[in-house]
Amino acid sequence: MIPQNFEYEAPRTLEEALQLLADGSAKPLAGGMSLIPLMKLRLAAPERVVDLGRIPGLSYIREEDGAIRIGAMTTHYEIESSPVLKARCPLLAATAAQIGDMQVRNVGTIGGSLAHADPAADYPAALLALEAQVRLARAGAERTVAITDFFTDVFTTALEPGEIVREVIVPAETPGTGVSYQKVAHPASGFAVVGIAARVRRSEGRITMARLGVTGLAAKPFRAIAAEKLLEGSSATEADVRAAAGAVPDGVEANSDLYASAEYRTHLARVYAARALRAALQAA
Amino acid sequence: MATTITKTETLVGKRIRRKEDPRLITGTATYVDDIQMPGMHYAAILRSPHAAARIRSIRVEPALEHPGVVAVFTGKDVEGIGPVPCGASLPGLRVPYHSVLARDRVYFVGHPVAVVVARDRYIARDAVDRIEVDYEPLPAVADPEKALEPGAPAVHPEWPDNIAFTYHQEAGDVDKAFAEAEVVVRQRIVSQRLIPTALETRGVVADWRSGERSLTIYSSTQIPHLMRTLVAQALGLPENRLRVVAPEVGGGFGSKLNVYAEEILMGFVAMKIGKPIKWIESRRENFLCTIHGRGHVDYFEIAGKRDGTILGLKLKLIQDLGAYHQLLTPAIPTLSVLMMPGIYRFRNIRADIIGVFTNCVPTDAYRGAGRPEATHGIERMVDMLAAEIGMDPAEIRFKNFVRPEEFPYETPTGLSYDTGNYAGALEKALEVAGYHQLREEQKKARQEGRLMGIGISTYGEICAFGPSPATPAGGWESATVRVEPTGKVTVLTGASPHGQGEETTFAQIVCDELGVDMDDVVVQHGDTAIVPYGIGTFGSRATAVGGTAVYYALQALKEKIKKFGATLLESDDVSFSGGVCVCNKTGRSVSLAEIAAASYRAAKLPPGTEPGLVSTYFWEPPNFTFPFGAHIVVTEVDRETGAVEIKRYVAVDDCGKVINPMLVDGQVHGGVAQGLGQALYEQAVYDENGQLVTGELTDYAIPKATMVPRIETEHTETPTPVNPLGIKGVGEAGTIACSPAVVNSVVDALSPLGVRHIDMPLTPEKLWRLIHKGGQA
Amino acid sequence: MKISGAYTLPANPERTYTLLQDPEALAASMPGCRELVRTAEDEYEMKMNLVISSIQGLFAGKIRVADKEFPARFRLIVEGDGKIGFMKGEGVLTLSPVDGATEVRYDGEVQVGGMIAGVGQRLLDATAKYLIKRFFEKMRERACQE
Repeated sequence: MIPQNFEYEAPRTLEEALQLLADGSAKPLAGGMSLIPLMKLRLAAPERVVDLGRIPGLSYIREEDGAIRIGAMTTHYEIESSPVLKARCPLLAATAAQIGDMQVRNVGTIGGSLAHADPAADYPAALLALEAQVRLARAGAERTVAITDFFTDVFTTALEPGEIVREVIVPAETPGTGVSYQKVAHPASGFAVVGIAARVRRSEGRITMARLGVTGLAAKPFRAIAAEKLLEGSSATEADVRAAAGAVPDGVEANSDLYASAEYRTHLARVYAARALRAALQAA
Repeated sequence: MATTITKTETLVGKRIRRKEDPRLITGTATYVDDIQMPGMHYAAILRSPHAAARIRSIRVEPALEHPGVVAVFTGKDVEGIGPVPCGASLPGLRVPYHSVLARDRVYFVGHPVAVVVARDRYIARDAVDRIEVDYEPLPAVADPEKALEPGAPAVHPEWPDNIAFTYHQEAGDVDKAFAEAEVVVRQRIVSQRLIPTALETRGVVADWRSGERSLTIYSSTQIPHLMRTLVAQALGLPENRLRVVAPEVGGGFGSKLNVYAEEILMGFVAMKIGKPIKWIESRRENFLCTIHGRGHVDYFEIAGKRDGTILGLKLKLIQDLGAYHQLLTPAIPTLSVLMMPGIYRFRNIRADIIGVFTNCVPTDAYRGAGRPEATHGIERMVDMLAAEIGMDPAEIRFKNFVRPEEFPYETPTGLSYDTGNYAGALEKALEVAGYHQLREEQKKARQEGRLMGIGISTYGEICAFGPSPATPAGGWESATVRVEPTGKVTVLTGASPHGQGEETTFAQIVCDELGVDMDDVVVQHGDTAIVPYGIGTFGSRATAVGGTAVYYALQALKEKIKKFGATLLESDDVSFSGGVCVCNKTGRSVSLAEIAAASYRAAKLPPGTEPGLVSTYFWEPPNFTFPFGAHIVVTEVDRETGAVEIKRYVAVDDCGKVINPMLVDGQVHGGVAQGLGQALYEQAVYDENGQLVTGELTDYAIPKATMVPRIETEHTETPTPVNPLGIKGVGEAGTIACSPAVVNSVVDALSPLGVRHIDMPLTPEKLWRLIHKGGQA
Repeated sequence: MKISGAYTLPANPERTYTLLQDPEALAASMPGCRELVRTAEDEYEMKMNLVISSIQGLFAGKIRVADKEFPARFRLIVEGDGKIGFMKGEGVLTLSPVDGATEVRYDGEVQVGGMIAGVGQRLLDATAKYLIKRFFEKMRERACQE
């Protein structure tokens, strides 16, 4: 459990960090909850690691113009316990609370988690349901991508070499939005075997908005748009919920591992989608 | 004489906090990896990625050229040492030569191939990657039943049938019992391979003093003295030139009741390089190379009458041994056979063990060691028989229990159960659980379509290993009690506790006998240079056997104390209690400290008495002890997902007399947690090519604190006559009792769907398939 | 681990068959392939640097083509060996014409060993699919170019 030799840089400013990362050969280190174990197993062997942990100003949660901006180095625990998020974006706080264990949540960061793009990570489900934006930065340039465009495949994101996650932007919820994140945690790793984030609004007995983010089921997290369409305009009966939940895994090639076959995962996605929707509707 | 205070409070039987804990929970204990020495070097081991392969060549030069590397050793360098010892013997046992490093062939993933020695551990690890091994992969077999099929790859080419041994035991008239049976139930039951997962992995520091020609090995072990004997032998070193120290040991659960290649290897390396050497096992190595537990495929048949009387039991036991025999590997399944009748009265048994080589790491003792498998088997079979004849699982047990008046009870497998009140334990468990009300609730739940289950397991244990004739290396234990000149008491125990809390329980015994305070007692263990020869801690023996040795040492010591007291008091009629020696005629008294000082000052020795206050006792137990109990588990299975929720866990354990109830509860909690691990989560999975695919804690699920339910612990107390303290042992009880109780509960929950048996672990997908597919899991 | 699936390449079976065995196309399409050298008829050695996000491994690999039945099917055997483990994939590729293009079905098995087998099982399935997808996407690009 000893990594290969690597150079370690701990820049004090973002500009400096981005310069160090610019040529794409160095690996940024955020909370290190995935990168460090991979390095210790020698499955990752970067020659140079740029620690973002000493840079002030990358950890924050603030509300601005109806949106909540979260710095990339904000820890899961800070997100889970943030009064702002609990009040204004409870889905993200609730999701963070279900990540790994307390030790991981105290150290792991939202930016690191997104950049690592584990197909069973928890945040993506919530961020997809929230239609979050991700602000990316590299030396001398910034851009913002929609979360749906951020995850491209297993462990693969829209991040270009030299680019880091700078900030995550989620909407401040309007009253009457019901949310829920329901997850089957792997008993060993705590990763989501399947995780479903549901977000609904209703008006006069009908669902006016439905968003379903799905993690763990496939190579990359996704929004179950067909299921959302089934819900929107419906009167949110149990039959509507079941029909929509049933459509969540449609057309998806499900992952399979020792713990859960593709068939069982697909089934779990339906069950947990229904559970998440019921809980969200109850809160809406 | 000064004023003396007679101590009247007794400590045995009290909930006393552990003396060990402050150093453990503040991170100030000294484990192997905490040991630093000037000039220390570090070892890293290259291990086979293949389950079976021929080694065509090894090129170590690139590693040797790496700056900071001092030496690299491969199989050909260590031909003069070893082999890794197997301490068990069975008639006709095939024992493959277990070299310390692989020679021309590797037999399992993780097999050590070369060791790199460097001036720091980082260099050592880097250099491992530079060694070039040319392997010719060979077909491997990881499944013991597949290994028995004709044409299966031979793990050891010299034994193409892969059979290491067969073992037969029979009693009564089994054929008659089965011929006369009204009901026969058959079931294949798997006790899956488990990874012991001690919190501290193994580690070895070896220090060779060439001038003194003496070697010290620090090892995270449960058996320092046995290790000294065996490692000295393997290294060709006189035993009195080897000192073995078990410093703080962070759990073992049987996985450190062993002598591994690394202990011999590090001794060898230290002697070669003339510098201290350290090797610390990584978690990944721990999963691949430290023994696994269980690994049974059992074919049971139970014969009974419609009134619930059990007539007989047959067992064909296929034991996955792995590629080699570690210290006790082949002996473990024989313990399953010993305990296969459980606590029931039937007399007809037949057991056949087939010990099978596979291309996997060896199996050996893991918490319970053979008894969890036996208990799981008999407790499942009793439940299946009850289900077959429509009898309540509690009732069938009451009908078949050995009765209190039948003790000592000779079992058909040749054991003599000391004492027991099996019905009493079950009655208590039923009462605590509210069994009859639970059955009513279950009826209601079933009407609502909920899958609620109630599972009972009534177990019997064999503990306090054991009488020497029945053990491979002696079953006694040693103790020395020394009152120091200032009256402080030092206890040396040959048992080598590693988390069980004997520094506390032994001190409690001492306090009651000598009338001293807990703070006045220090219990030392785990160092062969300090402690007289001892056996170690395993098989729930440390308190029952080691504690008894302490007790007897104290009795002899008290006689000597009285002699010195009598001399000081110039009286021939004294008594000693509560830390004070009193002249029964005058009432004058002297304290233990005064007596101790006088005994070392030796100005006036009692006639025929040596100076000092030291007493050593080697206690040989006349029998094992046989604890027992009843666990009841209430579960509910989520019909949609197959997930199991434990609603209630009731544990009634009878471990004889209790020294410290808090420690007994702790043992039950920990044992139950590991039983839950087997029942619900854990399984070491090798793929068809012999790759361990649950190779890290990310895939191998052990129960965490949040996954263990509240355990309602209760006790009955049936002392044993085997030792004067009446204690039986409790280290493994929870693990042994738990898994059948959980499986019985879940099978009960799913029984309306026609389910009669499920193999562990009870993973949600497995249950979901049973619920929704009506198929086999 | 069993793997199977199908991709459609925009070329007729004859061209597709040739393309899938063309050393240059293989070198360009095998994920992480750094170097591909022909060692015998239908046998190649390659160096691979597989990178999937943070995970990276150097492998010495071999590719072998066997059981050739132009233009309908052939067997492809890919092996790789590195410090983080080894892998061996063997599969039959079956080509059938579909509207002027070719559907390539693959059915085979992947074995992995060493570290990647021991700690990677949760992600093996998804990763294998991803690498196969990358392979066929590169092949598709090539089929379009030609």
